[in-house]
Amino acid sequence: MDAKGAPLPTQPSPNPSRLASGSASAADAPKPMLAFHFLRALSRVHAGPARRRTRTISRAAYSSMARAAGPRRAWSRALLRQAQARRSATLASRRTAVLVRRRVAAGPAPPLALPRLTGRSSGSSGETSAARAALLPPPSPAPRQAGEPARSDALRRLVPGGAGMEYCSLLEETADYVRCLRAQVQLMQGLADLFSCQ
Amino acid sequence: MSSRRGRITDEEINELISKLQALLPESSRRRTASRSSASKLLKETCGYIKSLHQEVDDLSDRLSELMSTLDDASPQAEIIRSLLR
Repeated sequence: MDAKGAPLPTQPSPNPSRLASGSASAADAPKPMLAFHFLRALSRVHAGPARRRTRTISRAAYSSMARAAGPRRAWSRALLRQAQARRSATLASRRTAVLVRRRVAAGPAPPLALPRLTGRSSGSSGETSAARAALLPPPSPAPRQAGEPARSDALRRLVPGGAGMEYCSLLEETADYVRCLRAQVQLMQGLADLFSCQ
Repeated sequence: MSSRRGRITDEEINELISKLQALLPESSRRRTASRSSASKLLKETCGYIKSLHQEVDDLSDRLSELMSTLDDASPQAEIIRSLLR
């Protein structure tokens, strides 16, 4: 429950606290935690390749938002699952590519090495299919409850993990999701302003 | 927050919906009446979430552009780079 309990190794600058005092919002995703996770992700993006940074940053925004909120919310769990699936899919495909290259380069590979490689690749292809299944939208949404307006279908698609929820939980999750989304947007705006005043 | 005693009462749902309404930005709150239907409120919320998603994408774009300018050798860029390290 206490998201601030996690130790912050480096508080990057006084800016997170300034951003925090800027708006009064519920303490679902406390601003310093949000800033910490997002800045850490941003430094990784900065260190990484320069191509497709926009998409990487956008994904980092949702992941850090989910991490700051923690696993007690269905929407954050859904986002974290999506990020995990994406990571394992990338790793599995990269691993398979490396194995293919190794096999080609090795030529007549010793028989001992191959079973290990194939064992791992079959495991990773199992991971890939599971990961891809997790990435796909849920096949059949739960039937709408009595008295639930038709608009809730659209809302279920927008809120992560919303498809299988009861109407009541959907409303709760939406409120929390909106609050955290707003905080994330404010954080990103603050950072963009900070970086652009050169 | 809500107690799940079998059937969810309408009051609970209305309470949650009014909480959602409180979250929407001021402009849309003025437009919709205080006793608007749940459907209208859900529509407002969907629109708001979509606009927030769009803002995240726009800001990601802006941040990625700004990040590429960090590779210059200006003193300000160096400060920001040390911030990200």
